[in-house]
Amino acid sequence: MDALVARSLSKMYRGRHRTVPALDNVDMTIAKGRLFAFLGRNGAGKTTFIKISSALLMPTAGSVQLFGVDVVDHAREVREQIAIVPQEGKPFYHLTPREHVEEYLRVRGASAETARTRADEILEGMGMLPYEEIPAMVLSGGLQQRTLVAMVLATEAPFLFLDEPTLGMDPFARRQVWEVIRRAARKGSTVLLTTHYLDEAEQLSEELAVIEGGHVLYQGEAEALKSKVRREVRLQFGYGFTAQELASYGEVYAERNGLTLLTTRNHVEELTRRALERKIAVHIGPVTLEEAFLTLVGRAIEDEDPGALA
Amino acid sequence: MTWKSQANAIFRICYFNGFLALRRSPILLVAIVLTPLSFLFFLYVIAPRSVLPFGIVGGVMFTALFTGNGMMNDCAYFRLERQLQQVFVSSPLRPLSWILGMALSELAWTLPALVLFIIVLGLVVPVGALTLLALVGVILLTWLLSASLGFLISTFFRQLREIWPVGTVVFTSLSVLPPIFYPLAAIPAGFRWAAFVSPSTYASQLADHAVGLPVPTISVVPLLSSIPVEATGMVLLTLLFTLVAMRLARWREP
Ligand SMILES: Nc1ncnc2c1ncn2[C@@H]1O[C@H](COP(=O)(O)OP(=O)(O)O)[C@@H](O)[C@H]1O
Ligand SMILES: [Mg+2]
Repeated sequence: MDALVARSLSKMYRGRHRTVPALDNVDMTIAKGRLFAFLGRNGAGKTTFIKISSALLMPTAGSVQLFGVDVVDHAREVREQIAIVPQEGKPFYHLTPREHVEEYLRVRGASAETARTRADEILEGMGMLPYEEIPAMVLSGGLQQRTLVAMVLATEAPFLFLDEPTLGMDPFARRQVWEVIRRAARKGSTVLLTTHYLDEAEQLSEELAVIEGGHVLYQGEAEALKSKVRREVRLQFGYGFTAQELASYGEVYAERNGLTLLTTRNHVEELTRRALERKIAVHIGPVTLEEAFLTLVGRAIEDEDPGALA
Repeated sequence: MTWKSQANAIFRICYFNGFLALRRSPILLVAIVLTPLSFLFFLYVIAPRSVLPFGIVGGVMFTALFTGNGMMNDCAYFRLERQLQQVFVSSPLRPLSWILGMALSELAWTLPALVLFIIVLGLVVPVGALTLLALVGVILLTWLLSASLGFLISTFFRQLREIWPVGTVVFTSLSVLPPIFYPLAAIPAGFRWAAFVSPSTYASQLADHAVGLPVPTISVVPLLSSIPVEATGMVLLTLLFTLVAMRLARWREP
């Protein structure tokens, strides 16, 4: 059985001043036990999808089923299966990270014994033992965020929603959190996380979906996304070429030391020859996920009808 | 989760949100006692001695009513600013258990202040076991009434900014204007019934009954001075507030 199935899901925020279509006819399937990432710019609709799926927001149309249970009609059953790190959530002022983890687990029905062992495990895994007895109000923003992630991951709930879980963390902390998220998935939880960090999506997720303007532009593996944009190589040129000269070969970006071109393999020989003739330095490498993402989303924005690419 | 684990969860919330907060920030204690104590001090300075017991009972009732103000603030704050309501509701915990846990922590915060005023009361009028029991009953009724109202109001907020002005208007009208700190008899006989527009008047009359202070009769609607009517009124209002709040509560945004 699939862990999450969304069908024709739409959400319109109706405000006094304007109506915002945050999700438009989204279909999505997430297999059980999967570590799944939503990738998208700010305002793409990631949080809206998470809130509807975790029974925190009503959809305008369409449906979401979690383990076969409809989230609109059976919120109570759905809530028993989930835990969520909300975007921009914050911990209690006066409680320590250990108290957050233990008390949250006990409120969810765990025994004192289980709460203690799981707290030991998660705080260790997230490198939080040095801070476990410090009230959250004097912890840095990154540590407060880690506290929330710790209390939610410790639940080992069948479905974990993590909305921007590593926001505000340093690169070391992020890697520790990634490892704990992977561990949760290995233990059998299905994880849906959102991020706008490309490296996070690439390192962490087994599968990802790219969302833009309430549309799903892509769903699949990170590697396959790179080939989907049909750009296989990246050529970095020193100063010398103009952007117009290169535009017909693919996507051109201005960078600190010159121009970067994303293109296909068959152009490599010709372009390197021309660069060498004009004594322009050239550097050849693979396309990164970030470049694939920028290309995909960039085309969708230019298209004005992003659905066409889905 | 079974009923037993829901009950257990309610006490856990009271422990970490109420008791631990109070232990770690004793200033909260001072903040809660200060306002009613100041009123009492004014009474002591300017009013005849016979009014003093009303003022002390007023301190007890003011503190019990204050749980509603705290409830309104905390529920709105945890939902809008910290998103902790979302974290706790997205779990096997029932929404009603979350509210009860919050309400119980508000009571925990005010407990030391309540004890203080009851001790002061004992210095001024005789407080026997029966009086104490009756007073505790009135305090519990008042807490439930005020907390359910506080939660109900909190469901209307969409922004943190709205909390302070609304809270000040509602809870000042509830706990300062009606005869909480002064005897109902101070209101001209023909208008006493009007004080019963505020549910806090029921609470303060019951408390005066409990302590054995003189309670005046009420013209126009004499029924209002009957203990069973007042107590039933409070219970019914509590149920009404809770029912409406549960319907309006933003467990899930529209
Ligand atoms: N409560 C709301 N009222 C009105 N518009 C909203 C609300 N929440 C989100 N939006 C709008 O919906 C769109 C999607 O937002 P969101 O789901 O938060 O995106 P993301 O999480 O990908 O950054 C944005 O245009 C945002 O401004
Ligand atoms: Mg978001």
